[in-house]
Amino acid sequence: MELGRRQALSGAGGAMLGGLLPGLALGQGTPQRGGTLTVQLTSEQRVLNPAIQASTGVYVMASKIVEPLVDLDAAGEPTGVLAERWESAPDGLTHTFHLRRGVTWHDGKPFTSKDVQFSAMECWKKILNYGTTLYLFLEAVETPDDTTAVFKFSKPMPQGLLLRALPDLGHVIPAHVYAGTDIRTNPANTAPIGTGPFKFVEYQRGQYLIAERNPNYWRGNGLPYLDRIVWRFIADRAAAAAAIESGQVQFSPYSGLSLSDIARLSKDGRFNVGTKGNEGNTAHTVCEFNLRRKELSDVRVRRAIAHALDLDFFIENFLFGYAKLGTGPIPSSSAPFYVPRPAPYPFDKARAEALLDEAGYKRPSRNGMRFAQPLKLLPAPWGEYTLNFATFIQQSLREIGVRVEIEARDAPGFLTGVYRNHDFDLTTGWHQYRNDPAVSTTVWFRTGSPVGAPWTNQYGYDNPEMDRVIDAAATELDPARRKALYQDFVKIAIEDVPVHTAVEHAFISVYSKRLMNSHTNPRWSSSSWADAWLAPT
Amino acid sequence: MRALRAYLRSPAGVIGAVLLVAVIAAALSADALFPRDPLALAGRPLQWPGANPRLPLGTDNLGRDIAAFLFHGARVSLLIGLVASVVAVGIGVMVGAIAGFYGGWVDDLLMRITEAFQTVPNFILLLVLVAVFGSELSVITIAIGLVGWTAPCRLVRAEFLSLRNREFVLAARGLGMRDLPLILGEVLPNALPPVIVYASVVMAIAILLESALAFLGLSDPNIASWGNMIGAGRAVLRTEWYVSAIPGGAILVTVLAFSLVGQGLNDALNPRMQVL
Repeated sequence: MELGRRQALSGAGGAMLGGLLPGLALGQGTPQRGGTLTVQLTSEQRVLNPAIQASTGVYVMASKIVEPLVDLDAAGEPTGVLAERWESAPDGLTHTFHLRRGVTWHDGKPFTSKDVQFSAMECWKKILNYGTTLYLFLEAVETPDDTTAVFKFSKPMPQGLLLRALPDLGHVIPAHVYAGTDIRTNPANTAPIGTGPFKFVEYQRGQYLIAERNPNYWRGNGLPYLDRIVWRFIADRAAAAAAIESGQVQFSPYSGLSLSDIARLSKDGRFNVGTKGNEGNTAHTVCEFNLRRKELSDVRVRRAIAHALDLDFFIENFLFGYAKLGTGPIPSSSAPFYVPRPAPYPFDKARAEALLDEAGYKRPSRNGMRFAQPLKLLPAPWGEYTLNFATFIQQSLREIGVRVEIEARDAPGFLTGVYRNHDFDLTTGWHQYRNDPAVSTTVWFRTGSPVGAPWTNQYGYDNPEMDRVIDAAATELDPARRKALYQDFVKIAIEDVPVHTAVEHAFISVYSKRLMNSHTNPRWSSSSWADAWLAPT
Repeated sequence: MRALRAYLRSPAGVIGAVLLVAVIAAALSADALFPRDPLALAGRPLQWPGANPRLPLGTDNLGRDIAAFLFHGARVSLLIGLVASVVAVGIGVMVGAIAGFYGGWVDDLLMRITEAFQTVPNFILLLVLVAVFGSELSVITIAIGLVGWTAPCRLVRAEFLSLRNREFVLAARGLGMRDLPLILGEVLPNALPPVIVYASVVMAIAILLESALAFLGLSDPNIASWGNMIGAGRAVLRTEWYVSAIPGGAILVTVLAFSLVGQGLNDALNPRMQVL
């Protein structure tokens, strides 16, 4: 189900690209050095180390400073960054990465396979949310020489999965800075040292982050083109829209403006507005349930809540049509793994009420409330999708006799409240799909994530069959069998509904037409921006 | 009676009283006119005022009935204004009375504490209190009261300083009256008129502070307060400005009403303004 506005939007994006391409051959073929790119962000996580926190909110800043082994190219295929080439043993247990020579850290020390070993074993496997699941069976990283890193797994790891995971879960941090320290509290987490095209300059909480050109960048050829990147934290969306219109800001990633302003600016000739370059970051706006709460531990109650939400109405009227119905934890944008299916919980108020009655939570009176205590809902402060969804849940559940109290928090307070303290009953959030279900999707359903790891199963959901399917799929080397296993995964996820993947949407970028060479790969906002440049005004 | 007549002679006071009565009437009639929960989904979001006869003031970007929100919001605003000013004036009168009456080191100590509060901007202190204690309505109301007590405190202290050595106070003291009855029975009633006038200003400030908090998204999201609607309407400010403008107008009217009433009271209670 594709909605009108979205269609119009992607159409406009295509037309825009067509219009630009001839231009690229002429004046725009010669990128210009210099200039400062200013980027607006609505929130910050106070972590700039992508090796310990996997999140677009971290990558959008830190991936310009710290680089992964592998990234995706324009076609969405893995392309080497710190790794030049790689080979895998047929049994999927050994993956060898040949690293780039002559790369130095921003502090001048050489980059070696020891850094890869340290990042993988100490950060990705032990701390990184998502990584703890993905690298569960990573036994060791061997370093026969300075430019070879051999990943040894105890269970088969499909090469395709590993390569599609590395752009997100494969950032390398310097061992000489982190070794022997408490990684979680190392000061370099907010003043990163990397190998990337831009060097960290200054970070002021709540205000800005500045990175400047790395003149010794290994790609050479005059890269990067930009002198400086400034990320400004502008939480107020009206102010953010004004900043981009006045030219103070050239780029607002990840649906950072209000949807009504996005719709307005899409008609403004000075800006490109669209979902292109964000295909690899398709997200679900979800409702997560805390199964520790007695009422919510009953699957009938969770299903009733899902049935109570008129999502068609929500998408059309609250999200201006910039979304579509979610059909399960694997989004329709995932060509290799998606199998079309209808939305699992259509709006049906009578059914919702019947399910609650059946679960033993009858209304005490005709308009009475079913639960003794209201449900506490923590809305994720990521944007209109999650904030408005919280209000919509509150409004909808009241109709079926369930009172919801919303408790608004800032980003760190929200992450701690939900994923560390489990101090919530319901929460709205963004679940991001990253190229393969085993990267950041199955971890929402599998047990065993350490307490405090954001965007993982912290809901007390525990289904051994689910764990078995997830592990089997993650270690299955045959693509067809993997796909089949993920259909089982989707089926169980829908049946148990510990997380309701209600709405699917691509993120929307708004950026000045001066910003060139941008949105050239499926996860551009999270990539390195080494070849982006600004046309003169 | 004389005070009432003096009050009615002040045009500002009369206008203020009329506006205030209107706001109170709106608050009282909210349940009768709009029995549904004002936070409920009333219809398609962003309907312009007048577009749908069932929703005379339209809907906001979350599909809530703006008219219902306005009427129910009057309750919240009046409640916050009233309770917060009782807290602020209560603390202020107590501290100010003790400081002004006893003077000396008691005065020094209490005034240094007062100054410590005064040096922190009201709103910053309020943000800290809300960040620490949460954003429930009761917490917010008391927090607003807590940040606003210094001005009434200084006012009461100044009055007490000038009153404590007047003849009637000395006479009462000479008759053996003890401190507490002396403060409450003799000095305080004479010190109250400027405080009453100022209380109306505190109410107006309290309403504005809550709105400012809500505008930043830090107020209690589970209540229908005007500030909450303005905060929600910010997202559509450039296209559907009425979502913010209508509750903004309501705040303007209410704050204006309190200030005008304050002015009227000042005219009525100020002995120097009395003509008779």
